[in-house]
Amino acid sequence: MIAATLTSAETLAHLQSHTAALRLPRVGPLAWDDAALHAAAYAHDPALYALLALAPGVQPWQRARVLLQILQASRAEVHDETRVVLERVTHVLVIGLPPDHTLTALLALRRLRANHKHVTRAIVQFVLDHPHADALIRAHRSMLVDCFEHALGKATARGCARMLTYPSTADEEYLRRRLLRFTRDPETAARRVRDLYTPAPPATGEAVLASLPAGAVLDAERERPTMVTATNRGAIAATLVHLYRGGHATELEQALQRDVALAAANLPRFGGALALVLDASASARSYGDREYACLAQSIALRMVLERCCDRLIIVPVGGDGRLPRSQGASDLATALLDALEQRPDLAAIISDGYENVYPGDLARVVATLPLCGVTTPIVFCHSAFTNSDDLALRRPAPALPQRLFWHQDDFWPLLVWLFAQAEPALAAPWLRAALAQRLHTIEQTLEGALP
Amino acid sequence: MTLIDLRPLAPRTFDLAGYRLGQPQRADGLTMLPIFGPEQNGIVPPRSGLKLARVVGYGQVELTNPAPAGVAIVPLHIGYIQDGAQNHALCRSAFIAAGQTLRFEDACCVQQSQGGYLEGRDQWFFILPVELRAAALALRGQQHYGKLWGVISDLNQRYRLPQRGHLEQILSGQRAQLTQFQSRLELLPGQVGALFFLGRRFAGLEIAPNAAYFAELWMPLVCFGYGVAAWHAAAPKPTAAPTPFAATTLPELRAALERSRQEALQQVQAWLAQAPVEALEVQEEERYLDLRLSTVGNTQIAGQIVDERERLVYASVFARPEYLELSGATEPF
Repeated sequence: MIAATLTSAETLAHLQSHTAALRLPRVGPLAWDDAALHAAAYAHDPALYALLALAPGVQPWQRARVLLQILQASRAEVHDETRVVLERVTHVLVIGLPPDHTLTALLALRRLRANHKHVTRAIVQFVLDHPHADALIRAHRSMLVDCFEHALGKATARGCARMLTYPSTADEEYLRRRLLRFTRDPETAARRVRDLYTPAPPATGEAVLASLPAGAVLDAERERPTMVTATNRGAIAATLVHLYRGGHATELEQALQRDVALAAANLPRFGGALALVLDASASARSYGDREYACLAQSIALRMVLERCCDRLIIVPVGGDGRLPRSQGASDLATALLDALEQRPDLAAIISDGYENVYPGDLARVVATLPLCGVTTPIVFCHSAFTNSDDLALRRPAPALPQRLFWHQDDFWPLLVWLFAQAEPALAAPWLRAALAQRLHTIEQTLEGALP
Repeated sequence: MTLIDLRPLAPRTFDLAGYRLGQPQRADGLTMLPIFGPEQNGIVPPRSGLKLARVVGYGQVELTNPAPAGVAIVPLHIGYIQDGAQNHALCRSAFIAAGQTLRFEDACCVQQSQGGYLEGRDQWFFILPVELRAAALALRGQQHYGKLWGVISDLNQRYRLPQRGHLEQILSGQRAQLTQFQSRLELLPGQVGALFFLGRRFAGLEIAPNAAYFAELWMPLVCFGYGVAAWHAAAPKPTAAPTPFAATTLPELRAALERSRQEALQQVQAWLAQAPVEALEVQEEERYLDLRLSTVGNTQIAGQIVDERERLVYASVFARPEYLELSGATEPF
């Protein structure tokens, strides 16, 4: 792998799929198998790299690696705007990651002898401001002391601890300048420093870490109905299913407009042309309890995309129109060619995956496109009923990047993945804006959890 | 619309001149050509109209047509499955007048060691797999509920399932795969029938009185009538990368794709030209006013048709297993 050539999509794919833990053996070097990739991605665009850690589905140990990378690097030459992003991402990762992940990354900084001021700030935030700092100190006192003393320097750390234990000896200005200015709540921090240096009976260690509820805040909440029905897969699709069933149009249309606007409200605009091959063939209607479910979710996605794309090109397969009636056969290959002839920046096939005119044609067309000089990124979005649908017979073009979506909550991860596929000049601004919005949301969530 | 002359199929037996074929669709080795043509109204559809009334005794099935008007044409080889009851299928088609209940004394049990009677319900139905249909048709009129167990058992053995007269081993055990045929092949608006090929050979001709009737017959036909054979004949999915078309520009690619489609269509036309052409023996079975139900057959194909003054209203004509096996139907498509 040549890390320097990775695109945002490739970097994101790595962050979402590479699960190996970051390990810090008692002796020997840090076990960081993909360090070159992280270093290259950071060097290319530090702010976007940091924000990618907040993309949906990024593996926790990859987030820990991002934390390690953005902390170990010097910020001396970094632009102010980027520095702010790095600082904010550092904060949400330090607080939002599972504590053992954060702790590993912070201990690794000690091993790497990274002692920048931003490292000091991050460690102090973790040791003294973390919502579970008291439990962490009880469980891993010696490791936290190691981190703390690496952050401040051993003599300074112990000096501060002494002053906070014996207030009569305290030099307030020294304490503020060396320690307390990095904390949110000096009073709580002082107590925790004293705890840190107060010998206590061995605690339960790993069990305490495992019991702490952490990490979930970095991923958007998802609705997971225990029993999936056609109308509990998000508000937009539910309304569309009722419209397809012949429900009262006026009130449903009003709800539809409202819910689509809400879903698209915080999405940045994609500055390029997105071509959608929208499969509304007969099979898209499905049947029985699933009737209209997949078709409605595909249309819901189209409606959201209409609000966040500068140019959206719809190429229908089968039914056409705002609420297409599902009908006809699935000729995905011809539709893709129709889409590409309009020279989009990005093309997405939204389909249930059943291709019958003729099976294999789409795969052959996709295989031929590079020979025709077509470099447009093309992806396949499986419109499914649940996330456990069997797609074995529904992968008409296995070579295409593909993702499944079934619930409106899938739109956010799907769109991040989709727009990351575009050329960097289009992908980067969208990702930067979307993930900055996500950073803001996480910060608001964390704000309530901090002391 | 692609026009293919259906008349080579069974010439001089019934008039198919008013019908035309649409673009073929494929799934595994099953090719389906949609049929469009004249529609006959006033025929009760098989799912929303025709009802399973009850099973009186093993091999005795009562169907009812509760509609206030319109005759029901019972689809050939219709069958019903219920948990905890002996599943049944019929060997023949029939007319059931509005408000009439008809008892079929010659029905078959298709679940050898299961006790219990099917209850009257509004429920889905299946069509016997094409591998069993010629045997079932030949047994019409014979009152012995276990008469199909032997061929079901043989079919199970062929498909490496326990050798017994339990059709549900095939229909229910592989239902998740079989039911996907109703999505892998897609019913088109106005479609009144379909021509099926397994591999390169004719497997069945199905024509309904109208599009609404055929829509209700679609799932049982494609999933069970022809899907079973297609599923078992399916070649392993190719693992090699797909072969690119010979093209270096998008217009060339479009032309190459179109050429490959034309070649596929010509291939299907060639299959159709090779379809069985032996004259069919025709045996009239029933009449309802001007409607006439007949059994047709020769050494290669068999089935039943309904005509109204020699104008075709309903047809379910299928290849005999010997024809399919000899024809290389199981060869990868």
